[in-house]
Amino acid sequence: MPKSLHELREQLLRAGVAPRHVRRYLAELADHLADLKAEEERSGRSPADAESAAVIRLGNMNDLSRAMTERREFQSWSVRAPWVMFGLAPILFLAIAWCVALLILWSGWQIFLANTDSPFVPVDGFAIFYFGVGRLLYFIAPILVGWGIGLIAARQRLKAIWPTLGLVLIALMGGAARVQASRTAVSGGLGHIRMDFALGPSVQGSLFHALVIFSLAVLPYIIWRFQKVRFFPA
Amino acid sequence: MAARGTNPNFMNGVPELLILRLLQQEEMYGYEIVQAIRDRTDAVIAVGEGVVYPVLHGLERDGALKSRRKTVNGRSRIYYSVTRAGSRRLADLSKDWSNLMGAIQKMLTGGQHAQVIA
Repeated sequence: MPKSLHELREQLLRAGVAPRHVRRYLAELADHLADLKAEEERSGRSPADAESAAVIRLGNMNDLSRAMTERREFQSWSVRAPWVMFGLAPILFLAIAWCVALLILWSGWQIFLANTDSPFVPVDGFAIFYFGVGRLLYFIAPILVGWGIGLIAARQRLKAIWPTLGLVLIALMGGAARVQASRTAVSGGLGHIRMDFALGPSVQGSLFHALVIFSLAVLPYIIWRFQKVRFFPA
Repeated sequence: MAARGTNPNFMNGVPELLILRLLQQEEMYGYEIVQAIRDRTDAVIAVGEGVVYPVLHGLERDGALKSRRKTVNGRSRIYYSVTRAGSRRLADLSKDWSNLMGAIQKMLTGGQHAQVIA
């Protein structure tokens, strides 16, 4: 792909055009440019002259960029509704992951620890693996959601404000989440698992947990931004 | 009396009209469309060649066009063709444009007449 089209891609992504529209537009422009170059070569121009003439005929980069950016239907959801992409959607994904983790905890409790009042007791054998999967999902979910936020932000060349807000929200939720389990009063009743959010009993502990989640979640995004500054200085 | 829509930009809808008219006859890919517009209008209407794609993508998004990938001479291309909704849109645009042309023609003729009387 010619350098000018690479620049156009950056311009379009920074202007908020959705990556899938950018990809298709550039693919068709590259094909069109190849056709124009072939036409110019057939008319007797040298390959270098044909390339220059083809780029001029294709249109200047500002016009090509404006033709896409002035159409709102090509804008990404991250630009049209950032509060949905970096507020609601991460919460929804986190809630789904935690529901699955709690379901594993609850079912493991019923299967392996039917006679105990709590699932938070030492286990052995296959139960270690079973509960381990649920625990891993529970603790890693905020980090995975954070990586998702970073990936979207990097792909769409977004400014840091909304991704950072999303990451802080996820980290605080992860730090404040508590899981409690209890048996019903009825003898042999089903176990009951509850989740709530509180910055206690140790506020410092919760904030430290949130800070750890934030640091791990934001890491890929920070690496991407450093690489961008290093390889593509503004 | 029913309110009439204004027409702030006389070139509004012209690229769509030309593209839909061309694609109603046969399916084409972007480069062919631009060359066809240039040839059939004797280069009077010369659109910026790359600018045609956002128009095509917009029409496809509205359901007026459909596209398919086709390999011709070893090169993969996206061919566009008109849908039923596109045909209706073409009819509407053609009618609007004919009305506009008629009105301008009438204005020009009327202007000449007024000058003679004066």
